[in-house]
Amino acid sequence: MLPDHNLIPHLIHQCTLIEINKVAENWYRLKLQAPAAAAYAEPGQFVHLRAGSASDPLLRRPFSIHNADSRANEIWLLIRVAGKVTSALAGLSPGGIINILGPLGTGFPVPDDEGSALLVAGGIGLAPLYFLTLRRQAAALPTELLLGGLTGNALPDDSFFFRDGVHPLIATNDGSRGYRGTAADLLEMRLQSGIRPTRIFACGPVSMLARVVELGRNCGLPVYVSLESFLACAVGACLGCAFPFKTDDHIEYRRVCRDGPVFSGEEACFELV
Amino acid sequence: MNLFDASLTVNLAGISLANPLIAASGCYGYGFDYRRWIDPGDWGAIVVKGTTLRPRTGNPPPRLVETPSGMLNAIGLQNPGIDFFLKSIRPQLPELQCPVLVNIAGETLEEYRQLAAILNSVTEVSGIEVNISCPNVKRGGVSFGGDPALVEELIGLVREVYRLPLIVKLSPDAGNIVSVAEAAWRAGADALSLINTIKGMVIDVQKRRPVLGNITGGLSGPAIRPVAVRAVWEVSAAVSIPVIGMGGIMQADDALEFILAGACAVAIGTANFINPAVAREISQGLRQYLCDHGFSHYRELIGAARP
Ligand SMILES: Cc1cc2nc3c(=O)[nH]c(=O)nc-3n(C[C@H](O)[C@H](O)[C@H](O)COP(=O)(O)OP(=O)(O)OC[C@H]3O[C@@H](n4cnc5c(N)ncnc54)[C@H](O)[C@@H]3O)c2cc1C
Ligand SMILES: Cc1cc2nc3c(=O)[nH]c(=O)nc-3n(C[C@H](O)[C@H](O)[C@H](O)COP(=O)(O)O)c2cc1C
Repeated sequence: MLPDHNLIPHLIHQCTLIEINKVAENWYRLKLQAPAAAAYAEPGQFVHLRAGSASDPLLRRPFSIHNADSRANEIWLLIRVAGKVTSALAGLSPGGIINILGPLGTGFPVPDDEGSALLVAGGIGLAPLYFLTLRRQAAALPTELLLGGLTGNALPDDSFFFRDGVHPLIATNDGSRGYRGTAADLLEMRLQSGIRPTRIFACGPVSMLARVVELGRNCGLPVYVSLESFLACAVGACLGCAFPFKTDDHIEYRRVCRDGPVFSGEEACFELV
Repeated sequence: MNLFDASLTVNLAGISLANPLIAASGCYGYGFDYRRWIDPGDWGAIVVKGTTLRPRTGNPPPRLVETPSGMLNAIGLQNPGIDFFLKSIRPQLPELQCPVLVNIAGETLEEYRQLAAILNSVTEVSGIEVNISCPNVKRGGVSFGGDPALVEELIGLVREVYRLPLIVKLSPDAGNIVSVAEAAWRAGADALSLINTIKGMVIDVQKRRPVLGNITGGLSGPAIRPVAVRAVWEVSAAVSIPVIGMGGIMQADDALEFILAGACAVAIGTANFINPAVAREISQGLRQYLCDHGFSHYRELIGAARP
């Protein structure tokens, strides 16, 4: 008998889809049976996944770990339908098989103090920040989640959050739910009201991240951002996912997959992507 | 016959490999990134990322885009340069427990010569792969690789200063790959690697702009396999030095196609991105094939598709 993928310890897993729910317009939450990933996952890390074995689409796709439950051996993913692989995932039924590599990447810095944090999520940027929220709340660290979306039904409804004890402050562009505005507007509002967290964590579109970093800088607060890029290998070997950073006077490319996806936002050159 | 009697060992231009599978340049870093999934010793050899005299920042993003059964990359030879390699990477290479080759690239003939001269005294490196076929840099790369006379001059210069196994990496974009292969052979190459990626591009119709920051990139993956097999078929018939075949190898049958076309060994790039354990699976698949068809060594299959 030839050994197969399953026998390789820990890091390539054939996972079974346990549950899949539509949680908002074009958003799906997937629960996967993935013991090793569940045991090792840290907020901000991701899995690189493949459903099927066709050569088109060829590459794996990265998805943040949205929650990990080591007792239930489960990881959760939160997926927004964007194209080929995400629509295929949305069409899976429980019992379906997904092949994952991971957990991969450098996640959010583990707080070395009991500081408070503001978490700023733009749209599907909620995926990794939700996991961070849950972990921080479990450690009784002061945590506030700010969430922005285009309209009310582009975001999960209240029960999605409340059942996990999460109470986000919400804004929508059209004002159909929560405040009218964006996640960055919520941050500005909280900072203006005098809130001074120890750290700001953010995930969302590049334009939002650029503004969050600037707002943090104006108040002298460190901002950590989770960045996106096209990934091929996801282990640091191919240098395909490079994101530009400014050091001294020159541009240096860092790997989203390995050096990140979470980086200190200060040196990221959002204007170059 | 027992599965493990089926032999995959090979002496490639003087380097002895445990099996004919080589990690392709640029797809395997310096050999350390995949150690969580696979023992580097499962490879016959590892070719490290294209290395230049001075550090290179690389191309602006996006550097990758997926295409039907393939992908385009435009990394632009981002690498920390030969000095960093010697100081920081070289001491770790023995940990890999398999032969390591360095892929070198220059912007001028003199840069190639200098790189080869430096590596000539590096005992941790078993050989060099001279990249005259990178599609993603403005100077050097493919602009050298297309002209047989220039290739002969370049490889001649490198040969003068490099004693160990010297491999030349060719591109199908070179026009007549056979004439370029013959030129490299005449100039003293010990083996040839083919193919490097094929230049291509993708346009984003929503933005009405090319997707890649570099506009064009190099195509790899299953999409290029038939082109690569054809190139190996033609080149291996024309030269009498070993040919290392590559381009879209995903599984054992793909590797067999190259071997049957005339390759003595094969390299695997893009497939690692999809399956980090691919080398182990392919060597098992090759053994299984030998076993099932009553061959005792894969050597018997090299070029066997030729009537
Ligand atoms: C570290 C990381 C974590 C991520 N986490 C999540 C997550 O938790 N949930 C989630 O829904 N998505 C996440 N993404 C994005 C997700 O990987 C892409 O949406 C997915 O790869 C799209 O695949 P597809 O086959 O459905 O789309 P495709 O058919 O490949 O593409 C559809 C469209 O999306 C664009 N696109 C594809 N991939 C990317 C990308 N990586 N960045 C920007 N644009 C892209 C394409 O240009 C195209 O226009 C993450 C990305 C990274 C890098
Ligand atoms: C991301 C990436 C980077 C590469 N970098 C190099 C390089 O630095 N030097 C080189 O000679 N070839 C480079 N190549 C080409 C590969 O070594 C190989 O020739 C090609 O990809 C075809 O094989 P594949 O289809 O198995 O990937 C690169 C390929 C990819 C996909």
